Amino acid sequence: MPDTIELNSISHHFDTLSERIELFHGLSYTIRADETLAIIGPSGAGKSSLLSIAAGLEIPADGDVRFTIDGVAVDALTMRANSGFIFQQFHLMPELDAIGNLALPLRLKGNRHAFDIAATWLDKVGLKDRARHRPHQLSGGEQQRIAVARAFVTGPRFIFADEPTGNLDVHTSESVAALMFDCARETRCGLVIVTHSHAMAKRADTVLLLDSGQLKAAA
Amino acid sequence: MSRLQLMLENSWRDLRSGDGRISMATQTALLFFLLTLTLTGASIQRYLSDNLDQMLGSDLVVETHSPLTERDEATFRSIATGLSVTQLTDITLTHKDEWARVQLKLVDDAYPMQGDLQIGDTPVATQRAVGRGPKIGDIWIDSRLAIKLRTNVGDILTIGGADLRLGAILFHEPDRIMEGHSVAMRAMVHAESLAATSISSSKGRLRYLATADERQQQAIATWARQALPGASVIRKFGGQHPLASFWQRTENFLGLASVILFFMGAVALDMTNRRWLAKMRYRLAIYASFGTRSRTAMLMALGEWLAGFLLSIAFASALAILAYALIVAELQAYFPGLRAAWHVAPALKTIGLFFLLLLALQVPSFVQLSRASLLSLIRNPGEGRHVWQRLFWNIAAVTLLAAAYSDNWLLTGMTLTAIAAALALMAALTWAVIRLGDAWGRRRAGLLPFAFFMMRQRLFAKSAQVMGLGLCGLLLLFSLMLMRDLGTMMESHGRSHDGNLMIAEAQSDQIDAIRHWAAATGSSIRALRPFVSAQLVSVNGKALADMDKPSDTLATLKDPIRLSWTDAMPENNRLVGGTWWSAGTDKWRQISAEPEVMTDMGLAYGDTLSYQIGGARHDFMLVASHAYRPGAGSITFWFQVPLSARPQIDAPTRYMGSMELSEPAWKALAALWQQHPTLSLVPLQELTERFDRTLGIVTKVTAGYAAMVLLLALFVLAASVSGFSADDRQKNGLLMSMGLRERDCLRLNLCDWSVTALIAAVGAIAGTWSAGLLIYRDQFDLTYSPDMLWVATIILAMVGAVCFVGYLACRQNLKVSVRDLMAT
Ligand SMILES: Nc1ncnc2c1ncn2[C@@H]1O[C@H](COP(=O)(O)OP(=O)(O)O)[C@@H](O)[C@H]1O
Ligand SMILES: [Mg+2]
Repeated sequence: MPDTIELNSISHHFDTLSERIELFHGLSYTIRADETLAIIGPSGAGKSSLLSIAAGLEIPADGDVRFTIDGVAVDALTMRANSGFIFQQFHLMPELDAIGNLALPLRLKGNRHAFDIAATWLDKVGLKDRARHRPHQLSGGEQQRIAVARAFVTGPRFIFADEPTGNLDVHTSESVAALMFDCARETRCGLVIVTHSHAMAKRADTVLLLDSGQLKAAA
Repeated sequence: MSRLQLMLENSWRDLRSGDGRISMATQTALLFFLLTLTLTGASIQRYLSDNLDQMLGSDLVVETHSPLTERDEATFRSIATGLSVTQLTDITLTHKDEWARVQLKLVDDAYPMQGDLQIGDTPVATQRAVGRGPKIGDIWIDSRLAIKLRTNVGDILTIGGADLRLGAILFHEPDRIMEGHSVAMRAMVHAESLAATSISSSKGRLRYLATADERQQQAIATWARQALPGASVIRKFGGQHPLASFWQRTENFLGLASVILFFMGAVALDMTNRRWLAKMRYRLAIYASFGTRSRTAMLMALGEWLAGFLLSIAFASALAILAYALIVAELQAYFPGLRAAWHVAPALKTIGLFFLLLLALQVPSFVQLSRASLLSLIRNPGEGRHVWQRLFWNIAAVTLLAAAYSDNWLLTGMTLTAIAAALALMAALTWAVIRLGDAWGRRRAGLLPFAFFMMRQRLFAKSAQVMGLGLCGLLLLFSLMLMRDLGTMMESHGRSHDGNLMIAEAQSDQIDAIRHWAAATGSSIRALRPFVSAQLVSVNGKALADMDKPSDTLATLKDPIRLSWTDAMPENNRLVGGTWWSAGTDKWRQISAEPEVMTDMGLAYGDTLSYQIGGARHDFMLVASHAYRPGAGSITFWFQVPLSARPQIDAPTRYMGSMELSEPAWKALAALWQQHPTLSLVPLQELTERFDRTLGIVTKVTAGYAAMVLLLALFVLAASVSGFSADDRQKNGLLMSMGLRERDCLRLNLCDWSVTALIAAVGAIAGTWSAGLLIYRDQFDLTYSPDMLWVATIILAMVGAVCFVGYLACRQNLKVSVRDLMAT
């Protein structure tokens, strides 16, 4: 029985001063940790919002979200402790070097071998010789590879990625995407990617299209 | 373990950043100041209480300025178990051609009631304890005096015709405490040695040292209050140290100083906090993205902050201990025997209090941190508007400090009121100027309208900056102004003198001697005014002892003052208010006082002032007020009465005046003094020296304080520039990327900074003005008359400094900003 995130007829909207922005209505879907999932859709469709709801960061306006880990229903906080994120802006700590960034999550979990594990991962993403470099000395692609490794290094059950290659060129996107999916399959971790790149989406086991408040299996 | 290590690494890294350094330095400076103050204060308190226990020389002392009547003394003896009478008087002691002003103590056989005297044979000899004072015919003098007079044990000294043998060097008297912070040179003789000589002076004091148990002490105190107006009673139990009120006034001032400094520190910390908060939010959001629970993350943030605080405790303590040792060494001249000791409890209390204060400042940040969310990494959240929340916590923190440090609520209240008024004004001005400027510039082209537009977009950040700078300016200006005015006030005390020798006090028969002596030596008497020694005992029936607002005037009035008489307004006086009496009036119960005295004592025309003069009580009605006018001699009196009052008063007439001595006359002075030891003549040079010494100490204290204030002002400026540089960098980058030339960009920033600085300056001036009006008169006996040119100069300097630093920061910004923008 894999870990799951069940979305039960969730709806979401934002109220602004003048109007209400309806994002989606009555969506249901079950995200499984043993598959990779890509969500595509036009800008402003509510993909990021959907991702936040699935990750337990936001509470939907209507409907409910159920998290199950090891067959036990858990709350959003526990879910969050078992998930990782990859961002469009990479969000590495500017004051830490590459290996320091990688070791950070492990050290926060109290792991004594944080730097050894981080070194292996650095090797895995092919940046062994950049260990002592700080983010501003790395290219976007290199930064994102470290961000990817950082998300996986603690062995989470789910990884959420919001437009992880949105800031990268096509070629670099390819290699980062490959890295992400490889890692996910290798560590048997559920991967939820929001993207507008069809090339990337094709790598996923399942591709969903969010458009005009509807969630459909993409063609 | 690795989390702890991570925490330490983080705080170490933070401390190395610009903001980290500023807030660290600010914390350290503040804590240093508070700790030094606490340690010094504790030492002095300890000294005062130890002193009262060990150095009273008896259980109770009654001090009067005229001898008790035989009946009163008999009553006293009947209440107390034992009694010793000592008499103090200022005389000039001579030996060969050397002379020195000395405080002479006449003691009886019973002296001292408790404790021992320490004496020796030479100024550097080992001391020995004796239980009795000098025997008849002997004189003991203190070591400094022995050196000054170049005299040795066995020499003969002459006082008023009596020859006295120098019997010993006096090191310590058990009733030394009564001397307070006087550093006068001392001599001691047996009262009967000088029985034949008249050595009374208006400054003479008598002390009745009594042995008495607690019940007897109470009885004596009650009796003295009734029967001996003008006498002060110092008790060992439940009594007040004679220096306590002096120290209390000092502490009041220091309390205000700490509040001001802390306020400035709070401004600097608040500004760096903005950046710290942004950084921590980012850090916490990232931590959250790899599943760190927010409680853990918050604990880490708290821990990092604590680590920085601990480090600043270490620095501040080391510095404070150093400063403490230096200050105590300096203070030993005022509090003989004061020692630097470890006052762990008060120091810990101060650190604890400071911790609470910083925590209070940090609370809004932590509250916002706890709301930091991972979502902010996916979507950029708008900047929170937390100015008011911060303001509230800052004020709460400062009030806490004020409560702990100042027992002068009025003063603290006034300071806080002035600050609050200035803050309100600045907030309103920022709002108004920026909004109006924006409205005005909406349909105009050019840099200024654009600058207003940009400022309007950042109204909240801008007003925080303005208020911070303005507050800092206000405090800086106020402290500097207060110090400057205190300095000038002290200097003006050294009034212009004519003549080179002051006749500080002479008795009627001595005046004749002086006249003869002057004629013989070719010197001239320039001015001479008569007075009687009078002690103000009550105002409108309220005893002076019951007045609680401490002031220098009140302290002086607790001793007898000089009451002069005249029908015409003296040439060096002018009428300030009320009506002066007509010449030859028979309504002799009228009096005129100096305006400063009236203000300090809260006197009004029509008040009844009661004086104890020569054993009788006289009431006068306050009808006029006179002030010193330079140009016609320096001798003036606080109080003057009509000529017709003189026959009604039974007390010896004394004189005050000035003389001009020819060069050879100086050598002949010693002879005059030998015959008239109580004759108080003070060479002007000595007077100015004595004054310069006092001024020197005041200058030292104020300079130290000014340095602290300036340092903190610097921190505020640095914090304000560095705290807002991120905003500026982004703004500049955007502008440049939109094609604005670098020069225009610079000018735009300059507009921005000068508007900020100008509003802050207006706030600072307004705040200073209201603080001056409120505080000067009431607390420091000063008239508030701001020197506009001086204020304007300071303000210009401040605005200039702010713009200059802003300009430098902006130039640096412009170099990196476009590339920066590309990087993000
Ligand atoms: N805090 C918010 N307040 C108001 N509207 C918002 C907020 N966050 C997002 N939106 C709006 O919701 C819509 C969907 O946003 P988002 O989920 O980021 O879409 P996507 O990621 O698909 O581009 C957008 O139109 C956006 O403007
Ligand atoms: Mg999005």
